[in-house]
Amino acid sequence: MTDSISDRNDVKIQIKNLGVTFTDNAGNPVQALTGVNLDIHKGEFIALLGPSGCGKTTLLRSVADLQQPTEGKISIEGKTPKEIRLARKLGFVFQQPVLFDWRTVRKNVELPLEVLAEDKEERSKRAEEMLEMVGLSNFADSYPGQLSGGMQQRVNIARAFSLKPDILLMDEPFSALDEFTKEKLHEDLLKLWKATNKTILFVTHNIEEAVFLSTRVCVFTPHPGKLANIVDITLPQPRTLDMKNTMEFTKLVAEVRGSFEGGSL
Amino acid sequence: MTARSRRSNSLDAALTVVLPVMLGIFIIALWQGGGLQALFHTDSYVLPAPTRIFSIYQDNSAAVWKNIWKTTSVAMLGLLLGSILGYAVALLATNFPGFGGGGLAVIGAFASVPLVALAPVMNNLTRDVSRVAETRSFVAKMLVVMLIAAADMGLNAYRGLTEVPPYSEDLMMTYAASKRTVFFKLRLPNSVPFIFTALKISVPASIMTAIVSEYFAEYAGGVGRQIRENILMAQYATAWVYIVAACGIGVVSYAVLMIVRGIIHKKLHM
Repeated sequence: MTDSISDRNDVKIQIKNLGVTFTDNAGNPVQALTGVNLDIHKGEFIALLGPSGCGKTTLLRSVADLQQPTEGKISIEGKTPKEIRLARKLGFVFQQPVLFDWRTVRKNVELPLEVLAEDKEERSKRAEEMLEMVGLSNFADSYPGQLSGGMQQRVNIARAFSLKPDILLMDEPFSALDEFTKEKLHEDLLKLWKATNKTILFVTHNIEEAVFLSTRVCVFTPHPGKLANIVDITLPQPRTLDMKNTMEFTKLVAEVRGSFEGGSL
Repeated sequence: MTARSRRSNSLDAALTVVLPVMLGIFIIALWQGGGLQALFHTDSYVLPAPTRIFSIYQDNSAAVWKNIWKTTSVAMLGLLLGSILGYAVALLATNFPGFGGGGLAVIGAFASVPLVALAPVMNNLTRDVSRVAETRSFVAKMLVVMLIAAADMGLNAYRGLTEVPPYSEDLMMTYAASKRTVFFKLRLPNSVPFIFTALKISVPASIMTAIVSEYFAEYAGGVGRQIRENILMAQYATAWVYIVAACGIGVVSYAVLMIVRGIIHKKLHM
C-alpha cells in the first residue's frame, strides 16, 4: 500500500529513518521517536494520530525545524527543513492561539507579513482576505481578549494562511474547542485546503477527527514513539458532515482504532 | 447583565469611594475634637489638631514647598535614571545572558543592602563630586534612589522581556524572524505591563528612599530632614506639616502613575 504511493514522483516531504532522543531532567535519554519513514505528496492532508507521548508533535516540530532530529533526515522538496523555514514556506498552527494581546485581530493576522516586510497596502489587503475567509471580517478591529476560544483559533488559522505557505503544520489546533465549534472549523479547514491546494500535516489524538479530515492517517504508538500503521482514507471529496453517519466512515474509524496495540486506546 | 446587578454594581462603585472618604472625615473630626489624642494617651502638643497644622503650613508655605521640591526632585530624577539603567541592564541580560545576568545579580545585591547602610556609603562615595555641599548631597541621595529603582525595574523588565507567551518564540521562529524583529514585535510590547509593575513599587519606594536618605545627608534639606530636625527641636506642629507633605507626595505621585498606566494600557489594550 505504502509502496504504490511512494512510487509516485511528486513527493513533497520525505522522512527517512527519523529518530529523536531527548535528555530528561535527570539526564537520562528518552526516545521520543524512532525509525519513522514517510513520504508525503503535494496536496495531501496527513493526519498524525496517536496518544500522548507517541512523538507525533515531535515529528511535526522536526519538519518545522523547531526541533533537531538525532537520527535520520527530513527533506522537503530536496531541501532541509531549515532552508524551507528560512524561505518561509512553512505555516505552523499551534495548539494555543498564540495571539498577541496588544494587537488587534487584523494586526495579529498581519504579523507574519510585517516580519516579511510586505508593504502596508498588501498587508491590509491580505489580512482582509484571510479574515473574510475565516468569517471574522466584523471582528478585525477587536482585540484577542474580546473573542471566544473558537474565534481566536480561527484568527490563528487566518494568520497561518496569510503567509501563503506551501506546507501547513497543525498541532492539535482544535483540541481545546467544543464539539460544535470544532465541526464548523473542520468544514472551514477542508474548504481552505481544497481552495489553496496546500500540503497539510495535522496532529491529533482524536480518531474521528483524523479520519474525517485527512487523506491518510498515520498511526503512532508510544514508548518509544514510532509509526505503527498508515490507513488510506477513501472517503470521497469534498467531505461533508453527514459522511460521519456512513458505514464507510465507521469502518475506517474501526480500522484505525484496530491499528493500536490491543485494539484500543 | 440584569438591571438589578447593574444597579448594585454602580452602588458598589459609589461605596468604594464614599466609605473611605467617610472614614477619613471621621478620623479628622476625631483628631480635631481631641478624641484621637485621648485614644493614643497623648496631648495636643505632640499631636496638634489639623487646624493648627494647617495654620503652621500657611505661615511657612514657601519653605514647605521648597522642601517638597527638594525631596521630589531627588526622588523623581533618581527614579527616572534608575529605571532607565534597570531596563538597560534587563536588555543586556536578555541578549547576553551570562554577562547581563551578572549585572542583574549585582544590582539586586546592592538594592538588598539596607537603606541606612547605603546612604552613608553614598555620602562617602560622592565626596569629590562637587565643591558645593548641596550638589554633593543631591547626587548622593539620588544615587541611593537610583539603585533601588534600577533593581526593581531591572528584575521586572527582565521578566517582561523573557517571559513571553508560550509558543510565541516558536511562532516568530517559523517566520524566520530576526532577533531584532522578535525584540520589537514581541519582547518590547510584552514588557510594557512589567514596567508598570516595577513602577508601582518603585514610585513610592523612591520617595521613601529620598526621605530616609535626607536623614543622613551632609546638606540639610528636604521633607525627611525637616521631619527629623523639627522633632529634635520639639516643634511637633511643624514636623506634622512635613509628615502630611510626605504623605501628599506619595499619594499624588502614585495617583499620577495610575492615571498614566490607565492611558497607556487603554492605548495598548492590555
